[in-house]
Amino acid sequence: MRRIVMLLIGAPALVGLAIPAAGGELKGSEVFDHYCSQCHGTVDAPGSVQLSRTRGKDKGLLTQRTDLAPDYIEYVVRHGLKSMPPFAPSDLDEARLRALVSFLMKQEAAGK
Amino acid sequence: MAEERMTDALERFRKIVGKDWVFSGKAVESYHDPYTISNEEGRYKARAAVAPDSAEQVQEIVKVANEFRVPLWTVSRGKNFAYGGAAPVLSGSVVLDLSRMNRILEVNEKFGYALVEPGVSYFDLYKYIQERGLKLWLDVPDPGWGSVMGNALDHGVGYTPYGDHFGVQCGMEVVLANGEVVRTGMGAVPGSNTWQLFKYGFGPYVDGMFSQSNFGIVTKMGIWLMPEPPGYRPYMITFQREEDIEQVVEIVRPLRLNQVIQNAATIRSLVLDAALFATKSQYTSDKGPISDSVAKKIMADQEMGMWNFCGALYGPPPITDALWTVIRDSFSKIPGAKFYEPKDRKRNPDILLHRADTMKGIPKLTEFGFLNWNGGGGHVGFSPVSPTTGQDALKQYRMVSSRVREFGFDYQGLMAIGFRELHHVTVIVYDQSDPKEREKLDKLFGILVREAAAEGYGEYRTHIHYMDMIAGTYNWNNNALMKMHQTIKDALDPNGILSPGKSGIWPKHLREGKKP
Repeated sequence: MRRIVMLLIGAPALVGLAIPAAGGELKGSEVFDHYCSQCHGTVDAPGSVQLSRTRGKDKGLLTQRTDLAPDYIEYVVRHGLKSMPPFAPSDLDEARLRALVSFLMKQEAAGK
Repeated sequence: MAEERMTDALERFRKIVGKDWVFSGKAVESYHDPYTISNEEGRYKARAAVAPDSAEQVQEIVKVANEFRVPLWTVSRGKNFAYGGAAPVLSGSVVLDLSRMNRILEVNEKFGYALVEPGVSYFDLYKYIQERGLKLWLDVPDPGWGSVMGNALDHGVGYTPYGDHFGVQCGMEVVLANGEVVRTGMGAVPGSNTWQLFKYGFGPYVDGMFSQSNFGIVTKMGIWLMPEPPGYRPYMITFQREEDIEQVVEIVRPLRLNQVIQNAATIRSLVLDAALFATKSQYTSDKGPISDSVAKKIMADQEMGMWNFCGALYGPPPITDALWTVIRDSFSKIPGAKFYEPKDRKRNPDILLHRADTMKGIPKLTEFGFLNWNGGGGHVGFSPVSPTTGQDALKQYRMVSSRVREFGFDYQGLMAIGFRELHHVTVIVYDQSDPKEREKLDKLFGILVREAAAEGYGEYRTHIHYMDMIAGTYNWNNNALMKMHQTIKDALDPNGILSPGKSGIWPKHLREGKKP
């Protein structure tokens, strides 16, 4: 669901908007793109660098990991880990978290 | 407060926002400070969080909070991570999380402004502008996931000519503690079409009262946006010696005051910049601050200096060409200065290629890379304000860097250039999972604040753990400023429900020995 809003305050050029609000449905890949990819989308992104450094060079990219458990992903998203801060449920809501976990596990199953 | 009353209040909040948007128990753990400093287990812990969807819901929430005397800790998106994130100063507070209020209400290309709610991030606003092909540029801080409004209200800075974010805000809507809604400036005129065009309206200018404060809850804010310029020319100048900072800043001042340097440029230290795309272990296995020989190795490897000045020019090419000539000639007086444009950089990723994005308002999270330097994760900013003189810059650098190194940390500092002052921001990266490291950091921070205050320097922004300490340094004339803040607080929020302790401002019932 996309949010469309129009507010009339007497200004001449008001526009609607379309941004995903918490509670709106997103696919797992969209959740990853929106919330995770800036730090985990490429090998030289900050999160990937940290994972390569601490877990090993073959474990930098989350989408190529084969050792992540759903509970662990959920815990890290909600509590953060080292420099990664947590994500509150008002922003990354439970439905999106489930979609994200499902996306990462599917990537894992496909051996990507 | 009594648990029973809190339970009743939370139930009332659920009726206002819906049961899915009140969080307690384990669900509130994501509101804790991710980079905690205190070793006291119960400090800065929220009891619950409530996430309204509208200003009307905020009005209803403050009415309930007054009835039950529930302290509300307001956050826009809660991403102010080096300063406490979403965590409250007062444990047991309910976080009033405005991140669901994420409507972009207007973007006006003709006049160059946006009207946004608190939950709108830089990523959101950038995407919105790009999708519509609007000829407007944002000004972004280093992390793009934060709130446009929240950053301005906390006096955050960016890197374009619009880098003073509170300086380019125009017009607010504020829910007061009694539930009344106020629009500031021209917004107070019914039917006004200049709310986002003229800041001051008529009578006292009050917008500043709602920045870094707990006097009201800002639910809408106008922010001016820069028209896309006809030309853009980012550049980097590197300097080889630590002591060059004195001459660099002396050259910067007249250039900035005359707007030859057009943007909120920064002078950054070697390790802060080098850490973006490299880790310490690539250069040394030694513990503690890096040695001079390691510094030279990094400088050669990454084509950097001990200080690196990143700026950009905006406008028609004949103008930017002329300005560049003046800038290059001015800094050429410093022995060893090297000049770079993006095409000159050989590495990718690279510091100038990254900053070339940031200085044109592209939001990113790349800057989080510096936390990988030693893998500690936690970071906190010490941010005294300095006049733009070489003497002050060198003095501050020596004061801070010597203490930071004495405590075993690398100096990771920057000087962000305003018009007449510098924000000297030193980021201290530490392992937040190690109680001894936290204790060491806490001791260091206290020394830095006291030594800076003794020389007449004050911090412009701080972590929740240091708000009382910093407020205590703004004590001229027997704390006259804080007394005035308290008078305003008591008048606008007599029950003290809004963000107790924010910027050292406490409600009457929690002042003077009554603080928890």
